[in-house]
Amino acid sequence: MTDGAKGDWYTMRVAAISLAGLPVNQLSDYAAALTGLLDRLQVRLAVLPAHTSFFLCAAGGHVGETADFVESYRRFMQQSSEWNKRFLATHSDLARSSGIYLVAGTTVEQADGLFYHTAYCFGPDGEICCRQRQTHLTREERSLGLSRGVELHLFDMDGTKAGLIVGVDALHPEVARIFALQGADLIAHTGALLAGASVRLQPAGMWAQVQQNQFWAVESQLRGSICSRAFGGDCAVIGPCEVTPGSTGYLDRQDAERPFAAAELVEADRSRIRSEYPLLRLLHLDAYRVLPQLYMQDARPDSCNRPLACDMEGD
Amino acid sequence: MALDGWKERLFRRYLYWLCRPARLRRRLTALIGEGGPVHTSVPLPDGGRLRVAALQVKVKLSKDPLDYAAEVHRMVREAASAGAQLAVFPEYNNIQLLGMLPGVEEMSRAISDGGSSEERREERGNRREGSSRPAVTVADVIRYVGPVMSQFLSVLYSTLAAAYRVHVMAGSFLLPDGEGVVNRAYLYGPDGRLIGTQDKVHLMPVEMDWGLSAGTEFHLFETGVGRVAAPVCMDATFYETFRILELMGAEVVMIPIANPEPYNYWLALRGIWPRVQECPVYGIKSALVGSALGFAFTGRAGVFAPVELTPDGSGVLAEVASAEEEGVAVAEIDLHALREFRLNHPWRDSNPELYVRYFPSVYQA
Repeated sequence: MTDGAKGDWYTMRVAAISLAGLPVNQLSDYAAALTGLLDRLQVRLAVLPAHTSFFLCAAGGHVGETADFVESYRRFMQQSSEWNKRFLATHSDLARSSGIYLVAGTTVEQADGLFYHTAYCFGPDGEICCRQRQTHLTREERSLGLSRGVELHLFDMDGTKAGLIVGVDALHPEVARIFALQGADLIAHTGALLAGASVRLQPAGMWAQVQQNQFWAVESQLRGSICSRAFGGDCAVIGPCEVTPGSTGYLDRQDAERPFAAAELVEADRSRIRSEYPLLRLLHLDAYRVLPQLYMQDARPDSCNRPLACDMEGD
Repeated sequence: MALDGWKERLFRRYLYWLCRPARLRRRLTALIGEGGPVHTSVPLPDGGRLRVAALQVKVKLSKDPLDYAAEVHRMVREAASAGAQLAVFPEYNNIQLLGMLPGVEEMSRAISDGGSSEERREERGNRREGSSRPAVTVADVIRYVGPVMSQFLSVLYSTLAAAYRVHVMAGSFLLPDGEGVVNRAYLYGPDGRLIGTQDKVHLMPVEMDWGLSAGTEFHLFETGVGRVAAPVCMDATFYETFRILELMGAEVVMIPIANPEPYNYWLALRGIWPRVQECPVYGIKSALVGSALGFAFTGRAGVFAPVELTPDGSGVLAEVASAEEEGVAVAEIDLHALREFRLNHPWRDSNPELYVRYFPSVYQA
């Protein structure tokens, strides 16, 4: 828990949870097990991985019998509005009963006939305090018909400026930079890296974004299988290398014994390194003046899967 | 300026004599003639595949510039012997020539102390009060000796590139440019011509204190070894460098480094490796190692690629084993495979609407 102090001197205990080992066939069993884990961890913020909603829905047998991930996800998209009522209510209750901020991982959000891959954060009062749509999509996500969000939201977490980064947004550094330049102190990341070769990419995600932006990150990665597709990233609590043991950038990492990573964030440590080595002040804006034009030239053939006028995010 | 007395002017004439092109060319002719160029006609990559060499240079101050020339020749020859069509030298690859200056070790104290803004302020104060403390800055030294070095380096790298028919990225040099001093990378073609230069854009705080001027734009060079760029060291800390170059069409980004700190895997990981994953290009990191002028440099030169383009999924095609000793990392890269990968990239995406909404206003906040 926080010690109540604000400014540069607060501390906050946080955790990223992979879902490995939790019972997921029944929402009630899942909620009871997660409550027990949160009681043990005694954190102010807990972060669940991407696809938490789909994982629970599929494990509960609600998307029908199929071993094909893509087909299963399509079915999930169609019923997500109905399913989300139960999914969101469950996590609202969990946040309220545990008295914590809970990032419930992601689900599919439907709005105006469009689908978004969206993360939700609940406050200790059980209310949604942030909803963040994924802004960059994988080739597969584009083929599934998901749309991109176009806003990034910061929210207050006991005086800490926090934001959510969803899925492969962690590998697109523009997202982290926008958050950092708007003053983000902490980023909660909901990820789901495929087991195998893709896991080698993980340090290029949140770890690298922390190092070039000097915020904290609580990174949750899904561990488990959905319709024969295995996910295998590691949960981690990440800080600037200079404030972590051995300069690794990790305050804690998931291991074989624990399906989570948990650590105490000491803001004074981060403030010190930001003062001694103010990385963001070394940005060279004049050299970036060509970027807007280059970005506009980079419009990809499949990069506009929705009409711009229909974006209703932020309503 | 403290280096414009008659003694200094006379000494610089001596340096010009020491570094005269005729003397250097005679030495290079002798060196290249010993066994002849080992790879006089390296084929350029019609199939998109080429071999590249990342050089790890152990710094050694040279009283005689011909000693430096011999070292550079040896490394170019080694790269060419390994079949490299592109050889990449590290950052600050001309500080070895400061060994020509008498009292350079005393000067090194001024250089290393120059990293403290507080001391710099104190020094400025002392100067105003007529203190006897030396008031020579790194920029002053480079302005003094730079014109001599500039001519020497140009002849050296141009001659070696042409002799061995390789592209040579000579590393970056501290050199005067007008009133300023820049940290500038040089790229030579296999015909010996200078293809282009790149000034370091993101300066370290210590370099600002030294009085260096930053570059203001990134350059892309169309060459026989693909579309290449050569930003310098700290430029790789910021994704913007690689994004700009990727969107300009870069395929190979060379990063010469000179890190004055003990080697740590994780600290080193903050540079080129994640940048190559974020912006799919091949990356070549060259490193200056060893001790000179009050600094102990470490690093591991290597050739990097998106993890999907490396056989073991590590994102590393070749890397020098030691962080303190000289070495060469040679690897084959495949530009056609890179182009194909970019077209079918599994997760790379673009969201111009998001960028327009936030950039450039967040930069200016």
